[in-house]
Amino acid sequence: MPDLRSPIRIIARRDAREALRDRFLLVAISALSLAALVSLVTGAIALKGDAATYAAARATLLALGKDAAAIAAPEFWPLKLLRGTLEQIEIMGAVIALIAGYRAAVAERGRQTLALILTRPVRHWQFLAAKLAGGLMLSAMTLAVVFALTALVLNGISGVPLTLSDLGRLVLTWAAGTLYLTGIYTLGFALALWLRSSVSGLVYAFALWLVVVLVAPQIGDTMDPDNQVAGGVFASLQIPKAEQDRIKAGFAGYETFRNGIEVASVTKHFERLTFALLGIKDSYTGKPLSVIWADKKGDALFLLLFTAALGGLVLMRRINPDQLTQET
Amino acid sequence: MTTTTPAIVTRDLTKSYGAATILHPLTITIPRGEVFGFLGHNGAGKTTTIRLLTTLLAPSAGQASVAGHDLATDPMALRAAIGYLPENVRLYDRFTTQENLVFFGRLSGLSDVEDRVADTLAFLGIEALADRRVGTFSKGMRQRVGLAQAILHRPELLFLDEPTSGLDPMGVRLLREIVARLHASGMTIFMNTHLLSEVALTCTSIGVLAQGRLVYHDRMEAVTAKYGDERALEDLYLGVGLSEVTA
Repeated sequence: MPDLRSPIRIIARRDAREALRDRFLLVAISALSLAALVSLVTGAIALKGDAATYAAARATLLALGKDAAAIAAPEFWPLKLLRGTLEQIEIMGAVIALIAGYRAAVAERGRQTLALILTRPVRHWQFLAAKLAGGLMLSAMTLAVVFALTALVLNGISGVPLTLSDLGRLVLTWAAGTLYLTGIYTLGFALALWLRSSVSGLVYAFALWLVVVLVAPQIGDTMDPDNQVAGGVFASLQIPKAEQDRIKAGFAGYETFRNGIEVASVTKHFERLTFALLGIKDSYTGKPLSVIWADKKGDALFLLLFTAALGGLVLMRRINPDQLTQET
Repeated sequence: MTTTTPAIVTRDLTKSYGAATILHPLTITIPRGEVFGFLGHNGAGKTTTIRLLTTLLAPSAGQASVAGHDLATDPMALRAAIGYLPENVRLYDRFTTQENLVFFGRLSGLSDVEDRVADTLAFLGIEALADRRVGTFSKGMRQRVGLAQAILHRPELLFLDEPTSGLDPMGVRLLREIVARLHASGMTIFMNTHLLSEVALTCTSIGVLAQGRLVYHDRMEAVTAKYGDERALEDLYLGVGLSEVTA
């Protein structure tokens, strides 16, 4: 029985190797890592200051012969500092994934390499699955580098060690990010492959990116009444939670519409899931994973379905070699 | 399948796009061991025929068997038995010759791919190109690496689409010698061309396609006996082409 995975593995590995030689992608990935780190450094320095202040106070107490327990040990939440990193992945990472998907399509389309592959014992779906697997590998490798660097810098600069639970949350965030970027990569790949011209595909993909990654979440955020004042209207007016809920109930229809715009965007689901996982959203800071999962499994499912559905569409649509092997 | 099975058998193989018929019902048998020259003007339907026979295109009607494998029912076995060199072949520019060939060899299911690559490079006399990136190559060098990927897995049948297109005289001569050696090794070769000199020097049989119709098909000895020298072959080629155009 033929090994159906073999051509997929061979083509996907070749794609990943080529991506690592693609100067444009290397520069883009380096820029993403740098942007992620820059957004982290100031926070890490501030965290170091907080830790040092506590350590100094504790040392003073001990020097005075007093019990260090007189001051409560502060809880540091170093992962909260990854907000900027996640926002870079949401926007910049998505652009890189989109272009990587486009480049994976044009690497074969209009060149005779596609004809050379499809005249070998390779099924069309295997070729497509391989291209998607290549995107998955590229996304996973890129984010592994980004998160490994951020973890190292966070630890190194702040001096606050990451716990095992923190590392587990980072791994889950990496997995969510890989899924998110693979979905965007698939979008770029599919449009560059399906449309009459791959450049049109890239333009359409960017238009969708603009709507999905920037416009929809931004409209949703802007329409949120609580976002009209820095720090939140309710918080600044010190309105209790029960009263907040009562006020919100009066705007249920509006809130459903506003939330609908936000949740149409896969980016928002990625953000909601990962902000909860890393405790960036205050209501989830320090909460156990079981609580976060109960609240955010819908976002995780959306992320999974978005990527799986796009991948499924790519696999189901048969390649038209007549169109795709025409020289450009 | 036996070795007496013809290399290619087509019956009313047709390709149409809407109302436009690119290849009119083509019925032809090409025995094994031939170097078949497929002649025709630009746009005559030669490349479409190769694309049909290599499974890149689905026919609109008709049947074909290539290397004993049915086009419609056994495309995977068919692909395993053929090699294909498209016109203006372009491989992966960021990869070396060796890396490109290893990739295509693995896709062909070769287990001893490194040895095969070394043998093929030696056969084509391009060992020196092994570690160079393909993106830096001239047209002639690319063509030879392209030929290497096509014969790497020792196919029964080799399809060459305008293999001499854009090559300098030295490149044309080298390619001719390689084709002769492949033929001597028992490989069947199907070659699209409009270079009559190549047909006269290389092919054992020819077919002439004009506006998607096969208008002539015979063995080279018969062509030579009937038409004499290359000049007469040119008259035949232009004659059948022109009469078809003016018909």
